[in-house]
Amino acid sequence: MKILIVDDSSTMRRIIGNVVMQLGFSRDDFDEAEDGVKAWKILSESQYDIILTDWNMPNMNGLELVQKVRAGGAHQKVPIIMITTEGGKGEVITALKAGVNNYIVKPFSAEILKEKLDGVLK
Amino acid sequence: MSMSQEEIEALMSGLDIPEDDSPAEEEDIPSVTKDDNETMSEDDIADLIAQTDIPAEEAPAEEIAAVEETPIEEVVAAEEMPVEKAPAAVEEENIDDIIDSIEEVTQDSEDVENIDELLAGIDGMDESEPDSQPTPKPTPAPAAKPANVDNEAIAKDWTDNQIDQGVFPFPVEKNTKVVNQLSQVATDSEEKASKIFDVLSFILDENNEIQKNSKALDEFVSKQVVLLDSLSKKFPNIAAFKANLELAQSLQTMPKDIISRTDAENAQLFQAMELMQFHDINRQKIERVMSVIKKLSTYLNNLFEDETDYHDVAAAKHIHGDANNNLVDEQDLDALIAEFGN
Repeated sequence: MKILIVDDSSTMRRIIGNVVMQLGFSRDDFDEAEDGVKAWKILSESQYDIILTDWNMPNMNGLELVQKVRAGGAHQKVPIIMITTEGGKGEVITALKAGVNNYIVKPFSAEILKEKLDGVLK
Repeated sequence: MSMSQEEIEALMSGLDIPEDDSPAEEEDIPSVTKDDNETMSEDDIADLIAQTDIPAEEAPAEEIAAVEETPIEEVVAAEEMPVEKAPAAVEEENIDDIIDSIEEVTQDSEDVENIDELLAGIDGMDESEPDSQPTPKPTPAPAAKPANVDNEAIAKDWTDNQIDQGVFPFPVEKNTKVVNQLSQVATDSEEKASKIFDVLSFILDENNEIQKNSKALDEFVSKQVVLLDSLSKKFPNIAAFKANLELAQSLQTMPKDIISRTDAENAQLFQAMELMQFHDINRQKIERVMSVIKKLSTYLNNLFEDETDYHDVAAAKHIHGDANNNLVDEQDLDALIAEFGN
């Protein structure tokens, strides 16, 4: 199981990585990218089973990344969970329309991420 | 307004989102789209997800096309565009104006003296008392410094004083520009948060090591208890076996206690790590403020921009209504006119 964590905050990437490790994954099970551009590059080089992405990032934001992934390619059907501070109803609908499989509003607990991960991996 | 996870789940389970972006279908969810600012619970999101069910291959073609048409390089280039900065010269001019006004205030007293001298120099004018003694000429102040130096020093002292009192903001420098400061705060706190995370991770790793050692210790003590128990049964007359057995039994609980305590400590560490999400949330709040300030700065610059060929307009120094002792009232004016007798 390979996970890609995309967030412009290094702290957030570590927090999410830490939560993922609490769920039984090892450090080798996930990679990190600091924006959509780098994530897209990583996705073109390796295969991932799930993508956890932030929304607001420089260069290419999470929504654009989701749209790009869903447009085609090897990861078109890979589950995507958006983890973001954007908590408005309109944003959630926009993200879901773009193709995210689940949505988490920061701050979140390990239990919430576990539930959502379990949900999309079923 | 943000939504809790429960609200998001509820929305996700309760919303039926059409599979494409056709206008007719968008009207199917007016209650949701009209309330973009409403918060969503975790349940809302779950409900939305449950009912959205958009397969990846059926993503709206227009949105996909739009994304494809925008190359990454363009997005990156657009992000790297330098933000229009307010011209520093404008602010420097403001400071110069303030200094000039200070100089004018100090020169006012000199002007009054000049008027007296002028009046004294006019033929036929005699302001002196009917005293035969000649009025002594005013002597210049001893060791007076050049006026320019004095004015600069006074202006600097006055400005410094105003800054110290918080009346004036700090002078415009790289370290005092608001957006720069906010950006610096965001960057610094990101670095420090990363270091805090390093410390927490180190403690977590150490706790895991302690737990590993404690488990090994527990196994060893358990084996010692079994060994000493059999020895003390076999050799009941040897007191050392019995004493060591009691000691080993008393120590048997310690490794388990260490493991349980480190488990509790790890739970606290995980909680601290979760709470560090607020660093990212606060950083984004700072970035939102920075964005507003930048937009406001651009707007104000555009608003006050003068596209005509502007020349300095001669402005009156003393205008009716000014709180200034140098203003003449009607009586003063009449008296002056009468004095000159023109």
